[in-house]
Amino acid sequence: MPHQCVRCGKIYEDNSKNILTGCECGSRLFFYVKKSKLKKAEEFNENLTEEEKVQIEKDIYDLIGKEIESEDKPVILDFESIAVKKPGKYELDLVQLFKGEPVVIKLQEGKYFIDLKSSLGSYSKKDFKQH
Amino acid sequence: MANIFKKWFDNLLKSIFKKKKDVKLGLYGPPNAGKTTLANRISLDWLGEEVGSVSNIAHETREIQIKEQITIKSGRKELTFNLVDTPGIATRIDYEDFLKAGLSKKEAKKRAKEATKGVIDAIKWLDNMDAVVVVLDSTKDPFSQVNLTIIGNLQARNIPVLIVANKIDLKKSNLKRVVDAFPQYNVIGISAKDGVNIDKFYEELFKLLD
Repeated sequence: MPHQCVRCGKIYEDNSKNILTGCECGSRLFFYVKKSKLKKAEEFNENLTEEEKVQIEKDIYDLIGKEIESEDKPVILDFESIAVKKPGKYELDLVQLFKGEPVVIKLQEGKYFIDLKSSLGSYSKKDFKQH
Repeated sequence: MANIFKKWFDNLLKSIFKKKKDVKLGLYGPPNAGKTTLANRISLDWLGEEVGSVSNIAHETREIQIKEQITIKSGRKELTFNLVDTPGIATRIDYEDFLKAGLSKKEAKKRAKEATKGVIDAIKWLDNMDAVVVVLDSTKDPFSQVNLTIIGNLQARNIPVLIVANKIDLKKSNLKRVVDAFPQYNVIGISAKDGVNIDKFYEELFKLLD
């Protein structure tokens, strides 16, 4: 499956080394794009200004949690659950979210999924008490 | 005689177990349905303090808010639970809606981002709930994707549900429309703001959590 850099819009094939090491532009945040939606993804990126792309990248890191950013590993976002149309414009697929479908797919020595429960930290009794 | 003793012993065990358990009651629903107004009403009535701020602008609650150990009473019965107020669940969050409500562009975009995270958090917390009160705005069409998705998922997870049709004090309110939309559920019309029918709501909470 192709991956698109959130910052510059460059598209990489699934087996590309850049998905593991980060994009040529320096960003480590990618959208995971289904082949059938590739054209739409390219158009989406073309319609954004450089400023908007940087803002979206920043917003997404805020959404998925700081611990993921600090690990300095490439992060791949599933386009299906949350779509960021422009900075401040979000569309959420509730059916996917309620299913616990992965919002974030992170790469670390290969690939693995982070589901909703683990992507933002699971809520133990301790967390509950802290609120 | 042995049977009577066993029953007494079982009840004793049940009551001890129940007291120790942290029962979590979640308030879920679309934005601006009155979840925090209801949470404040419950908390004010039984603890004397509010849970969170309310606003006419949607997505005022963007983080999970909890009030622990609320004990409500009805006659000789008592019920203790932790009340969990959640951010409104939406399919589309657009900062331009907040601009119209008078927020600056920067504030509106921040609110949109926080509201999106709030939706994810609210959905994640669902697994922690022992029972859920779904708060709907009775002036609005109950057949929205958000309402149907929330209620359908609660049913799939076997979480007990009470549906509250809020804002029955408003002229546009249509309680029957909500009752007819969810015939298999217990639906109760209230005004969380004015406290209309709130005693009936507390009675229903006993049934829900018992």
